[in-house]
Amino acid sequence: MNRKSFELKLCFVLVCVIFAVFLGLPLGNLALKSLQTGSGLGLANYQQMLGSEKFLQAFGNSFVIASSEALITTVLAFFLAYGLHMTRLPHKIKEMLQLVIMMPMFLPSITYGFAVIYSFGKQGLITRLLDTQLFPIYGFWGLLISYIIYTLPPAFLVLYNAFFYIDKNFITVSKIMGDSAIRTFLVTSVRPLTGSLLAAFILSFFLSFTDFGIPVSIGGEYEVIAVELYMQMMGALPNFSSGSVIAVMMLIPSVISVALLRYMEKFNFRYNKLSRYEIQRSLVRDSIFTVFFAAVTLAFISVFAIMFIVPFVKSWPYQPVFTLDTVRRVLGDRALLDIYINSLLVAGITAVAGTVLCYGAAMVNARSDLHRYCKVIMDVIAMVTNTVPGMVLGVAFIFVFSGSSLQNTFAILIIANILHFFTTPYLMIKSSLAKMNESWETTGLLMGDTWLKTVIKVVIPNSKATIYQMLSYFFVNAMVTISAVVFLAGARTMVITTKIKELQYFEKFDEVFVLSLLIFLTNIVVKTVFDVLAEKEGFPLYKKVKKLLKAKEYSDEKFC
Amino acid sequence: MLELKNIKKSYDNKTILDDISLKIETGEIVSILGPSGSGKTTLLNVILGLTEISSGQIIFDGQDLSKVPMQDRGFNIVFQDYALFPNLNAYDNIIYGLRNKPGISTPAEVAELVNLLGLKEHLKKRIDQLSGGQKQRVALARTLVMKPKILLLDEPLSALDGVIKESIKERIQLIAKQYNLTTIIVTHDPEEALTLSDKVLIINEGKISQFDRPQVIVSQPQTQFVEKFILSQLRIKRDNIFRLFGNLPAAAAGAAR
Repeated sequence: MNRKSFELKLCFVLVCVIFAVFLGLPLGNLALKSLQTGSGLGLANYQQMLGSEKFLQAFGNSFVIASSEALITTVLAFFLAYGLHMTRLPHKIKEMLQLVIMMPMFLPSITYGFAVIYSFGKQGLITRLLDTQLFPIYGFWGLLISYIIYTLPPAFLVLYNAFFYIDKNFITVSKIMGDSAIRTFLVTSVRPLTGSLLAAFILSFFLSFTDFGIPVSIGGEYEVIAVELYMQMMGALPNFSSGSVIAVMMLIPSVISVALLRYMEKFNFRYNKLSRYEIQRSLVRDSIFTVFFAAVTLAFISVFAIMFIVPFVKSWPYQPVFTLDTVRRVLGDRALLDIYINSLLVAGITAVAGTVLCYGAAMVNARSDLHRYCKVIMDVIAMVTNTVPGMVLGVAFIFVFSGSSLQNTFAILIIANILHFFTTPYLMIKSSLAKMNESWETTGLLMGDTWLKTVIKVVIPNSKATIYQMLSYFFVNAMVTISAVVFLAGARTMVITTKIKELQYFEKFDEVFVLSLLIFLTNIVVKTVFDVLAEKEGFPLYKKVKKLLKAKEYSDEKFC
Repeated sequence: MLELKNIKKSYDNKTILDDISLKIETGEIVSILGPSGSGKTTLLNVILGLTEISSGQIIFDGQDLSKVPMQDRGFNIVFQDYALFPNLNAYDNIIYGLRNKPGISTPAEVAELVNLLGLKEHLKKRIDQLSGGQKQRVALARTLVMKPKILLLDEPLSALDGVIKESIKERIQLIAKQYNLTTIIVTHDPEEALTLSDKVLIINEGKISQFDRPQVIVSQPQTQFVEKFILSQLRIKRDNIFRLFGNLPAAAAGAAR
């Protein structure tokens, strides 16, 4: 018995040490720093900050813009999910729509800002097509549109997946009871999803509140807290104690968001069975959704089209003639190519090392006989990493690791990325390991295996599909992130996203779009490869659902 | 012969098994019967070595196994949900243990097992292509390849449909006889326990209610528990079936024999 636990104990200790050093220490130090004043510890820094008009303005702005965009995003995401589940539109159209909505996930958020500028700006594509500028883009409106694009994919995923678990028999019951269409809609779709709707709202809020890429590109005079934090740390007149206070203040809404999300999980009455429902014909409903889908698709494509146009024309918008000169120039630039390779390296190592770390932590949680508290600690770590925004992590890292041998290394970027994106892959593999037969290790032991041998021969092969998904999640996110790395990347360890920010300063937007396109294509390739690999091993969620529903049909026949 | 002496298991001050003492002869099929929470699965795990005992002794063929770790005891188990490895096909599951202990079963012996369990045409199938009964037989074969000194079965029939249930029952009896293999089965179903085994161990709240041959249990129940929960259940079943078949006295006489 005790022999079996040895490797897992080691695993537990390693995970704890890693997070103590790279998460606990930096965060503790950050809190301490924010309390340090000229005369010992105190709240003077906070008092000063809370008395600062500029900070309060930025904080308020962040709050207003994040809540407004979260509201719009949640409503949009809900109707997109509803339309995909509850209309009889052709399957191909639904799949296309999903692909379009997912597009932003493969791009750094800083790119959306520029894309919106190039679409809705004075010389933008859409402005030129419509011959009028719809609204001033720098500031509130530009931020709003960019944030919506940024947070729509995750909010949509939350609601789209939740829809699978609604008890569709309610719809039949509601109709038989003579409810009006509106009432049926409210009772059978909105009400069961209340928890998920709030979750989508909070997720969107959290993401836009803590994002750096969008406001730095399109924020203009509309100051938000993320940019304020950056200026205090990296600006012309750095003020580290102010920076640490802002970082801690930024943590507060994050903590509240995550706490709310967890609290609401209790109210999420989840219907565990997947139920099938034959959607009724309705030309009116399907026509309305066709128009809605077309509008969303058009909006997304019109924003992103620019990204595919600018790199291939001579000079946008003055000489819109096709040429490969820009692409050739950028790809021929040894320095830029090196940065691309840096990014690949960082994302690749993040993916592999992050997956290993998540796997170890999840094994302790899901497949060990360690004490219950050891398992809880793993979950707590995942919760904390989920709460800490990338920017706060970056700032906390600066304070602790400046001057150490980690400063200006790729290692620090990789560690920051792994911690920043730890939660989702951890939860993925945890649920996959928990679902596996709990007796495999015992069986292996009885067949003469060591514990490790069974893990290598049985447990890991049976979790391959999830491992591929984890690798792809880490990779794609490491490619597009900017928030933590913007503080940590040095001249020698530049990655594409930080380079894009630098290029913006010099107004080299051709390069910006070529590099963005490079990230986009790389991510699509990586994601596709891993999806194909995962599909060979197991089934992605929607296929599993399809299969389950089919199996249900067949099982009914069996009894006849 | 397997002998349990005053086995006690407690967990967080809660006694799960209390003073269990019994002897099982080589080649016997013994069912452990009890309601959920009675401690029957814990007792199985105690014999297997998965669960440490708080006090008492486990003696097998004169050797004290109480402190011997699970993998060195030489017993083996088929879990309720089979614990087959889905990344391997049926055949590779069956011969899984041979890689670690080559020669424990010869190819001829493996082939004989495969035949005995009627698995020949299913060997190349993936686990998810097998039916419940086929999975059960693959798991049984995988365990028997290891030539266990005692075979433990955790609820071997609970996941199976009626007819398949009876056929698996027969195979278990056949195997126990053919290999003179001591077989210990955990079940919550009185009918299953009393028709499948040589002896039945009825436990309730961690204590032995009765340990005897099925006929003795039916004719001379020793505790209120056996009478009330085991026999009354069987009588209702019997009466229902008699009513269904029009109360045939000959069958009634046969069943009571």
